[in-house]
Amino acid sequence: MDKCIITFLPDNKKVVVDRGTSLLSAALTAHIHLNSSCGGDGVCGKCRVLVKSGKVHAEPSGRIAPQDRNAGVYLACQTLAESDLTVEIFPESRLDLSALSREELALRLRGIYAPAEDIQEAKPGLTQEVFAFRPLVEKFHFELPAPDFNDKLSDLERVCRAVQEKIGDAPLHTGLANLRKLGELLRTSSWSVTVAVAAKGPVYEILAIEPGDSSQKNFGLVFDIGTTTITGQLVDLTHKKVLGTKATYNRQATFGSDIITRIIYAQAADGLEKLHHAVVDVLNEMAESFIEEHDVDLNDVTCVCVSGNTTMIHLLLRIDPSHIRQAPYVPTANYIPAIRAAEAGLKINPHGVLYCLPGVSSYVGGDITAGVLSCEIFKSKDLELLIDIGTNGEIVLGNNEWLISCAASAGPAFEGSGMACGLRAVRGAIQAVHVDPESLDVAYTTIGGDKPRGICGSGYIDLVMQLLRAGVVDKNGKLNREKAHSRLRPSSAGYEFVVVSGPQAGLDNDIVVTDADLDNFKRAKAAIYSAVSLLVRHMELKAGDIRRVFVAGGFGTSLNVESAVFIGLIPDLPRERYVFVGNSSLAGAREVLLSRDAAQACDRIAGNITYFELSTDAAYMDEYMAALFFPHTDAGRFPSVKY
Amino acid sequence: MAEELKMITTWSQAVCEMRLGAGRQEGGSRKVTLTVGGEETLPFLFKEGALPHTPLIAVEIFDVPQDDEPEALRRDLRGISKDPVTWAKAMVEDIGADLVCVKLAGIHPDGANTSAGQAVNLVTKILGAVDRPLIVLGCGEAGRDNEVLPLVSEATKGERLLFGDAVQENYKTLTAACIADGHNIIAESPIDVNIAKQLNILISDLGMPLDRIIINPTIGALGYGLEYAYSIMERARNAALSGDRMLAMPFICFVGQESWRAKEAKVPASESPAWGDQRERGIMWEVVTAMSCLQAGADILTMRHPQAIKIVKSEIQELMKKAQS
Repeated sequence: MDKCIITFLPDNKKVVVDRGTSLLSAALTAHIHLNSSCGGDGVCGKCRVLVKSGKVHAEPSGRIAPQDRNAGVYLACQTLAESDLTVEIFPESRLDLSALSREELALRLRGIYAPAEDIQEAKPGLTQEVFAFRPLVEKFHFELPAPDFNDKLSDLERVCRAVQEKIGDAPLHTGLANLRKLGELLRTSSWSVTVAVAAKGPVYEILAIEPGDSSQKNFGLVFDIGTTTITGQLVDLTHKKVLGTKATYNRQATFGSDIITRIIYAQAADGLEKLHHAVVDVLNEMAESFIEEHDVDLNDVTCVCVSGNTTMIHLLLRIDPSHIRQAPYVPTANYIPAIRAAEAGLKINPHGVLYCLPGVSSYVGGDITAGVLSCEIFKSKDLELLIDIGTNGEIVLGNNEWLISCAASAGPAFEGSGMACGLRAVRGAIQAVHVDPESLDVAYTTIGGDKPRGICGSGYIDLVMQLLRAGVVDKNGKLNREKAHSRLRPSSAGYEFVVVSGPQAGLDNDIVVTDADLDNFKRAKAAIYSAVSLLVRHMELKAGDIRRVFVAGGFGTSLNVESAVFIGLIPDLPRERYVFVGNSSLAGAREVLLSRDAAQACDRIAGNITYFELSTDAAYMDEYMAALFFPHTDAGRFPSVKY
Repeated sequence: MAEELKMITTWSQAVCEMRLGAGRQEGGSRKVTLTVGGEETLPFLFKEGALPHTPLIAVEIFDVPQDDEPEALRRDLRGISKDPVTWAKAMVEDIGADLVCVKLAGIHPDGANTSAGQAVNLVTKILGAVDRPLIVLGCGEAGRDNEVLPLVSEATKGERLLFGDAVQENYKTLTAACIADGHNIIAESPIDVNIAKQLNILISDLGMPLDRIIINPTIGALGYGLEYAYSIMERARNAALSGDRMLAMPFICFVGQESWRAKEAKVPASESPAWGDQRERGIMWEVVTAMSCLQAGADILTMRHPQAIKIVKSEIQELMKKAQS
């Protein structure tokens, strides 16, 4: 087959590919990750590249304006190499895989990993003794008595006897590899050994036996695998201390921005393999940099605890996720037994254990169980609510007697995807907006104080609220065409409002919000609100009965509660009932890692949460239609909101 | 029948009263003015509350001839439907229509594309020929309606007519014109009680008083979703009587337009002999649809066939007799 050499600019990377390879695949081969929310279907229009020389074959796309097309702009996913090429990659087409900066990290993790003085409001902080400290993997040092004619217990039984004095009379397993070297090891170390013991449900396993006393060197990793962001922590299991926190993007985004697109991609040739590697590589790289920075031996990392939505866990374990999206939406497993981390491709101690937090259903995963655990809803006498806002909005309502959950498909609008100038919560994303009701002057702040590049979820919530108040947007979410102002102008599809004028801010293009954006946004907020509303109604309760609402999610930490209520995203409750918990999934995973009581509680929580299927509920469509209005068709539900 | 209604509900709110047509002392020229709405209870439950106004029938007429007119209508309207003015006058004076509903179908750019001036002229002429209020409908093409309807509204300023239809995607221009010229407005929603309410809120947000909005809930003819429309109207009216101000408007149901679209009203007897005479079938289709809408709470029915109008009108009178008994 013919080969083509493709040179990517400005990286100046060259790759050799078969003729007919798509530019998106070629870029991946060159280790250049492009934005591709739709997974290469030519729908999202985010993988635009400029073909500077050479011949290509391209499927026509409405995503490219005619003048751009004439200038040589193509969608990388729809364009096949026909000859040697020189291709320039636009900065906005590049998937930002860099590790997050310190400020962004602080922003994302506020409330879960904060300095001692800030921890008061965070639920629950590390200082809080909620569960007894007993990590899932413990290391015990023993000075064993040497056998003699009076004590002829075998070597293994001798070790087990000592271990069972610590852990109680539970069944204790171990592997053959440990046995083969045990006799020699015990004698050469003069019966002074350290034993790593892992709790695996009701059973324990001796993972490793090491000479001497290494009981102070026991570390674990926790990860929250989000559809968009992966966050991890290195935890000292002996001293109950978080040594470091990191977050980066989920590289699976190259294969689609939402879980459904990724499940579909998993069906393609090598799709599952690629998705699996995309996530495992991130975890391994993060683990490597942790152990380097903190001078930890890889062998002393004995366990990994992971929370994530059901699809993410399937992909991490390279389990076919296809049944998740096929009726009746049954996953391969909600409870994943403790397994060898190495089997999943994770590079820690070869005997190390991987724990995945149990999920409830295909669309309510371990990340939500973790959230309920860390927010302690399962212990509360009062009615509490957890809202995890993402592409899928997950909601849990309940108290110490019952828990019910549902998942609403909100679409990626809150994560800045599918919006004309949307951006994830990265540097340069507009996160807070003020619009002067008279002059329509726009003031905004960006993440990191950088030059604005786009608008993220919290920015859109503020913006829509401000535009509603200024009368620029009507309650139906349409831009008011009668309002004569230079910021309002017709566009190719409907009208648009100029948030930031490009030339003024030193950008090539204006940052705008369009009628189509507002429509997406309205649907997203309606999906979340109507799910909450239906769940409350299903339990024959009223929103006012909810004593506390935990809002979790990527943008939860920077969310303006007043704006969120004003647009009708969350119920109109006294504002002090709202608690922003940021990444409650990671917090929950960490608690499990540090306490087998927490692990057991987590199993019980997952078992106790009733899953309520919205899609088959007759009332959902009606609730949803009623919520497709600002703030709501029934204004009586938002008494504090005045336009 | 002394015990026909055992359960008496006390509702908390009445439907708004909408006045149609303005007489000379109010700045208009109508000899006959009408009022709809004001219901304090569900349709025809006279024992439970007041139902102060008799439901009205508006005759549907067109500015330009319709090529797809069913045979029964074409034959029975022969001689009058060529000229909209004659048509309106005949239906009011001879058949007893309470008011006239003029659909300006001809202004559609893909249709006859008649001018705005022609539309204004025609409406003014009909106003001169009949002494009753009019309903004026656009062609349904948003851009064209927004050009023409404000001009018609301005030319008939002060007559307190009823203009339509405002929809969620296009309500501002027509609402502004109706507010300025003192007319009422029809708010159309696609068989959806939430959207009906949302549109009423949007229109009233522009400054339109609630008693000048009438809901077109969108109906289907008998066999074409009538029961769906019925349940939407029932829900809206229940909400209205229970205190929801944003749904407490009268209903207008486009019965003629929908029933004469039904296959059962259009197919000739030669094609489907078992169905019987086409004319009778068509008329009955319109009558049954109209009667069902009345039971769901319709305040204005727009209808086409003279015979159907007569039958429904006499049925309404029968039903309303109970108010006196």
